[in-house]
Amino acid sequence: MLTGTVTTIFGDDINTDDIIPAFRLQQSNDPEYFGTYAFEKFDPEFRSRCGQRNANVVVAGKNFGCGSSREQAVYALQYNRVACVIAASFPDIFYRNCLANGLTLAALPDRSGIQVGDELEVDLAAGTIRNKTRGTSVPFTMKDEDRRTFQAGGMTARVRAHLEEILAGRSGT
Amino acid sequence: MGQTMVEKIVSRQVGRPVRSGELIERLPVGKLFFNDVIGPPAILTLQRLFGETFRRHGKPVRVFDPRRVFMLPDHSIPAYSVEVAEGVDLMESFGRECGFTVYREGDGIEHVVLIEDGHIVPWDIVLGTDSHTCTNGAMGALAFGVGTTDGAYAMATGHIYDFVVPETFQFELTGGFQRGVYAKDLILHIIGTVGAGGCSRRVAEFVGEGVRRMPMDARTTICNMAVEMSGRTGIMPTDETLLGYLKDRAQWPVEPVASDSDATFANRMTVDLSALEPMVAFPHKPANAVPFSRIPEMMAKSQAHSGPDLPPVTSDRITDGFVGACTNGRYDDLVEVAKVLKGNKVHKDVSLVVIPASRRVYERAMDEGILQVIIKAGANVESSNCGPCFGSHMGVLSRNAQMISSSNRNYQGRMGSRDARIFLGSPAMVAASAIEGRLADPRKYV
Repeated sequence: MLTGTVTTIFGDDINTDDIIPAFRLQQSNDPEYFGTYAFEKFDPEFRSRCGQRNANVVVAGKNFGCGSSREQAVYALQYNRVACVIAASFPDIFYRNCLANGLTLAALPDRSGIQVGDELEVDLAAGTIRNKTRGTSVPFTMKDEDRRTFQAGGMTARVRAHLEEILAGRSGT
Repeated sequence: MGQTMVEKIVSRQVGRPVRSGELIERLPVGKLFFNDVIGPPAILTLQRLFGETFRRHGKPVRVFDPRRVFMLPDHSIPAYSVEVAEGVDLMESFGRECGFTVYREGDGIEHVVLIEDGHIVPWDIVLGTDSHTCTNGAMGALAFGVGTTDGAYAMATGHIYDFVVPETFQFELTGGFQRGVYAKDLILHIIGTVGAGGCSRRVAEFVGEGVRRMPMDARTTICNMAVEMSGRTGIMPTDETLLGYLKDRAQWPVEPVASDSDATFANRMTVDLSALEPMVAFPHKPANAVPFSRIPEMMAKSQAHSGPDLPPVTSDRITDGFVGACTNGRYDDLVEVAKVLKGNKVHKDVSLVVIPASRRVYERAMDEGILQVIIKAGANVESSNCGPCFGSHMGVLSRNAQMISSSNRNYQGRMGSRDARIFLGSPAMVAASAIEGRLADPRKYV
């Protein structure tokens, strides 16, 4: 169960350059560094809004996270205590990068009832988003394997088990 | 019921027939490559996540198969900071330990060099830690971008996990381009038509007479921008032109692949190439593409619009031009630029940067006198790298800049200041605009 406050509502096609500009990417290998520069060009107030809460929810329109494959965009959100992104849709590369890092994404076609300041409770197991401020609850769909991966915080344990098989000479695939 | 070429490629790789929508828990990868942005953190991630596992088996940390892994420093080289230089050092030292190829700084851009060197072939499954890995689909490979962690997983085991076989959006290209109209104009037209999310979760497959008549450089331009409509990747069937390109070049076995005529496609669209005119994408997204003749209309629309995806454009003046990037920095592109610039001068208020996309392209353009024409016209020619497209060096934009670029993205702040305006167009349009100091129609120069 994830709970958080909606601190930002974006429109369609927010790209990963918006989330973290390119010239920051090679200046550090520490994921926390990218939190410091999240949305520095696109939304310079983003960080201070997120800093006021322990858990933030970002809401957006279609295609959130499009563009560059930079995984630093995921770190930039996570290190601003973004617990969940709720958007109309997500493109594949960003979606996979969030799966790998356990940043929960929920695709929700109709987000019209959600406003800045609302307290949300995202129940992955039940597939519901409860708006505690407005007393409403809406279902969202997610593939079972993705739900398991988000709940596990990524796929690393599975990959490690596969690597064990390979190193032990048991399996090539 | 037939299969799409995507379904065929995945089926062969997993050894059983698959359909789109199917989940593949472990999909083996044929080629895996990294640039200087993601290579260094991916190596560190590999060591952090799996170092202990390797040690327990008494083995050093290694990649799954050094013949299939490549690292190419291309984004920020020659290094603009100590951190970049040390990242390149890490790639080089890990490459030596593992025995995989690390290219030299200046050899060129990942999506150009591996194709030139014959490493990407039909039926391949290619992962690159860059969203423009889709470029490689022009070779008939299933090629897509991944992030650091998927890249590190693949380094360790040679697999990508929980891969959903994508559906295909088939674009049939008919006819041929008019003079002064190029592959770039076509793909901008398509992106403008379907929108930034118009090919979401689907592979963009390009087929038909229009593709068959197109040389390889133009094909890579089209596949390069599939991701700008959120395509999973772009792909093209094998034909005589591709087989000719791969002859004496391919480092791996070559076998043709194409979709079956009775395969199931999620969408289909036909585009008549002869009906297209030069296109220009307005800031801040490639999907803001309009035909050249509609620039005044689009300027008016931008001034009435509110929202960050289309800022007000009040002038068609140009301060900066860029020809290069994985989209349009190849030999055929430079030939067109030289045609436009020959006998002309770059406008006194314009900085034009031209970057051949690889060392091979650079050397050929030099040997054939193409670079002389470009340099004498007043352009700045730089060594092969991603250039200002990455926004970190080689022509970072000020707040007052209006840039026209042959690259693939014109996001806000992409090349420098958040207030700069970036337009996208063909290399010929960039050259024509650099001469006139305003958005210009290339048709009068070629």
